[in-house]
Amino acid sequence: SGQAGVSGGGGHAGPRGRRGRRGRRGGGAEQASGPRRLSSGRCLNRAPSKLTVPFRTPLEAEMARRSLAPYVQRPRGLVQKELTVNGSALAIRWTAEDPVFFRISVNAFLDQLSLVMRNIRGFGSPPMRSLGRGKRTDT
Amino acid sequence: MPAVLGLEGSANKVGVGVVRDGAVLANPRRTYVTPPGTGFLPGDTARHHRAVILDLLQEALTEAGLTSQEIDCVAYTKGPGMGAPLVSVAVVARTVAQLWNKPLLGVNHCIGHIEMGRLITGATSPTVLYVSGGNTQVIAYSERRYRIFGETIDIAVGNCLDRFARVLKISNDPSPGYNIEQMAKRGKKLVELPYTVKGMDVSFSGILSFIEDAAQRMLATGECTPEDLCFSLQETVFAMLVEITERAMAHCGSQEALIVGGVGCNLRLQEMMETMCQERGARLFATDERFCIDNGAMIAQAGWEMFRAGHRTPLSDSGITQRYRTDEVEVTWRD
Repeated sequence: SGQAGVSGGGGHAGPRGRRGRRGRRGGGAEQASGPRRLSSGRCLNRAPSKLTVPFRTPLEAEMARRSLAPYVQRPRGLVQKELTVNGSALAIRWTAEDPVFFRISVNAFLDQLSLVMRNIRGFGSPPMRSLGRGKRTDT
Repeated sequence: MPAVLGLEGSANKVGVGVVRDGAVLANPRRTYVTPPGTGFLPGDTARHHRAVILDLLQEALTEAGLTSQEIDCVAYTKGPGMGAPLVSVAVVARTVAQLWNKPLLGVNHCIGHIEMGRLITGATSPTVLYVSGGNTQVIAYSERRYRIFGETIDIAVGNCLDRFARVLKISNDPSPGYNIEQMAKRGKKLVELPYTVKGMDVSFSGILSFIEDAAQRMLATGECTPEDLCFSLQETVFAMLVEITERAMAHCGSQEALIVGGVGCNLRLQEMMETMCQERGARLFATDERFCIDNGAMIAQAGWEMFRAGHRTPLSDSGITQRYRTDEVEVTWRD
């Protein structure tokens, strides 16, 4: 696969620390608008960050999504992840309130993604078929 | 004649096994060993598993003499165990299941031990003593469930042994429990330790606290040797396990006992259990380190039973869970 593209949510997330009272106000509109400045003067990055990973085929990208999706489906609270497939690319979108949790989540996910990619590369191309929706195979 | 591939990696051992119709065709395994005085952490363990599992997978297929097309089902450890290592193995299982277009099966780790024990030993319906670093349970089959008759109310017996090994800086290679066993053979003095059986259950955290403290005092004064402490710890905790197993056997009217799990490799435990079984006119069954210690073939064997009984795990439901009780699984492959 080629290089993955990463786009950040905008703004610089400062070091982790106590959140000021001003940081807790604000509704959904504020979440989409980029970093917020806390009473302490530090920035908290709430805008989503995206990673795009190209695969050889749409089938491989979908396969990777299905392998990694159960890993991301559990509600994490502070970090939200969403996986989608666009053509031959797997797109991952993170929304995180805390840069430390964000970094942990990204690093862990990249480790698993690397494993999936090595697995696909090492154990052959997927069969030429469309992926069903959990259809049971009769024995 | 289904052939099932099993992937295991809930703790510091990662293994891939292939089983077909009761024959173990392959069972390679790797162990993540940490320096003396330390234990294994989830993130580091997962990193180890990710680094070796694909090689293990290829090794298993080669050893079994099978191609991916000849595999009928991919089984993996759904739980219980450590989160990050479980995820790393589950991701590989999902990927190969899709690559090879094979059904996926999430297996309970404890049931993997039981089914492998039954296969290897031929025990029909034993009272099972499942003892490892992560689990300590007394189990018996009844009406489509593996029922837990007794268990630890805090830490597993293997965890107690492993953490005591850290105090003495005993090597973790090949395993701390094995090295404690070898040192215990040279022990001469029995140090009295708290004996904590609570009905059908056991408790080890108090014994651990006591012996950790005692080790510092008694070794400093020369009152006993590290070998004496290893001997005393084994004698105490194993006697507790024998008691609760015997109680379960009496309750069930069972004439068979089966030891599974990594601690089950311990020959002193097997000797004490054998004595108890002989006194009751019962038979003891145990396996060797290939199958006692966590391995992929045991997941494959449990997966083989489940596959033939019609179990399947959809991809959308193929997560892992750190807490997965033995009696949560409906055992439809037994009468």
